[in-house]
Amino acid sequence: MVTPIPLGWRIESAPDVLSTGAADCPRGRITEIIGARSSGRTSFLHSILAASTKLGEHAVLVDTNDTFDPSTAAAAGADLGKMIWIRCAGNVEHAMRAADLVIQSGGFGVVALDLAEAAEAGLNRIPATTWFRWRRSVETTPTVLVVVASRALTKSCSALLVEMKRKRAIFTGNLLRGAEYEIAPRKPIGSEGGALHCVAV
Amino acid sequence: MYACIYAPGAGALAQGFSPHIEMVDAQTAVFSITARQVAGLQEISRAAVAETAEAAILAARHLPGLTFIQPGEETSILGGLSIDCLPPDPEIFQTLDLWGIHSLAELARLPEDGLAERLGARGLWMQKLARGALDRPLRPVAIETKYEESIELDYSIKLIEPLLFLIGRFLHDLCARLDSQSLAAGAVEITLNRTDRMLRLPFPTRDVKFLLKLIQHDLEAHKPGEPIEKLRLRILPADPRRVQHGLFIPAAPEPEKLELTLGKIRALVGAKNVKTPELRNTYRPGWAIGDSRLAFRYFRPPMAARVEVEGGRPKHLSTRVCRGKIARVSGPWRTSGDWWREDAWNRDEWDLALADGSLFRAYRDGGGWFVDGSYD
Repeated sequence: MVTPIPLGWRIESAPDVLSTGAADCPRGRITEIIGARSSGRTSFLHSILAASTKLGEHAVLVDTNDTFDPSTAAAAGADLGKMIWIRCAGNVEHAMRAADLVIQSGGFGVVALDLAEAAEAGLNRIPATTWFRWRRSVETTPTVLVVVASRALTKSCSALLVEMKRKRAIFTGNLLRGAEYEIAPRKPIGSEGGALHCVAV
Repeated sequence: MYACIYAPGAGALAQGFSPHIEMVDAQTAVFSITARQVAGLQEISRAAVAETAEAAILAARHLPGLTFIQPGEETSILGGLSIDCLPPDPEIFQTLDLWGIHSLAELARLPEDGLAERLGARGLWMQKLARGALDRPLRPVAIETKYEESIELDYSIKLIEPLLFLIGRFLHDLCARLDSQSLAAGAVEITLNRTDRMLRLPFPTRDVKFLLKLIQHDLEAHKPGEPIEKLRLRILPADPRRVQHGLFIPAAPEPEKLELTLGKIRALVGAKNVKTPELRNTYRPGWAIGDSRLAFRYFRPPMAARVEVEGGRPKHLSTRVCRGKIARVSGPWRTSGDWWREDAWNRDEWDLALADGSLFRAYRDGGGWFVDGSYD
């Protein structure tokens, strides 16, 4: 029997995911991580980089404000040898162009754009069409496009939006041992109640 | 079938027939030849063609003109030559002289068993040589090929596009030369007027389009700055890349595409800002190998801070991005190192938890307080 498909609609199967332990990031989609400083955004980003490079994939980090710490990323399990680190010295426009070139190049497991410390003026100048274009560019690829920011930027273009919240710092005596975070999914709709508590030590 | 040319400049003459040439001496070149190529030897004064390389060498060296030895005719053609044509061996030559052996034909006719008993393996080897039956593989020498093209123009080039047109022409020729030798380009050296620039390739290639694009990105990132009147292009050859693909190997970026992308990004953000992160065997902050999974974000350069201290412990932090009462403190942790270098460090580090929950690492050195970054 032939089932007619209505014009203008596409049938999409559930996307493949990159499992990080804390959350599953859909491949071929935009994952956005938002939160305040010390809320665990970077710890979550490192866990995504670690999960991807452990699978033998290559990852790119577009580091807008040159904040990346290879030491803690390696400790989280990221294979630095499979990563490319692009530093943009605070220039949001350069970061967006570099990310665009990497996305168009293809072949990466994760493309991460870190805008967490970017200047507000630079963020406001990002055209909204960029996110739509990137969503279209990655949707037929196995790439997880991760955007880290202090507030939501990608709007309707992200498939997964996670808000990170700081819970408490863990001290052992006089020593800072780690921190406890809450991972609160805001998207997809219906996942809002599934907040997770995780600890980075 | 082998051919031998015995003439001054034999190597250059032989290269017209084959790229794989054995130079026996300065005037004797041996190479493999096909029946169709034999006619080309007629213009050469001393040459020979035979089934074995040694027979061809003997004939070319000691017979005038072009000698063509059909298989089985070696003894009849070479037999008339004197025994002195063989490689000198005074002891064997003296014995053969005593036996009354003076030509190769006479040596060839001697029974092998008796010869082996009296002259040993060396004697048998010489007899095989005299029969033209000593078969051995060719030992070709690698002739150094220069992968270099240059041009001096009557006019000057000011734009990159016409310069690329010339470079493209050179690359086509040089890559064809590399292809004929089963080699690839490992690096490209370009001289513009008197300025050299070296383009090291991430992998050996002879893809003209790819090389041209790389050179274009390099020229756009580092413009020549003067009109070009003299251009030289030199390729440093390397063994070609061999890649084994697999069904279950994760997808990776195509090397050519990736290099072009990185070239564009390098032109955008600077070459030193595109790299693979690495850890160094040092305790220097920012480079040390740590074991904490608590992610850290650096402020590069460290941010100047004002810290109020009470009783030797920080109580209030103020920087251009944050300000607040310090709720909990970890430290001080004294670190120092590389005292023998100009960029030595010596500081007291503190982990600070502000009242709003944000975590920072601050340090104090001779110049005051700085915030190194935040835990995130």
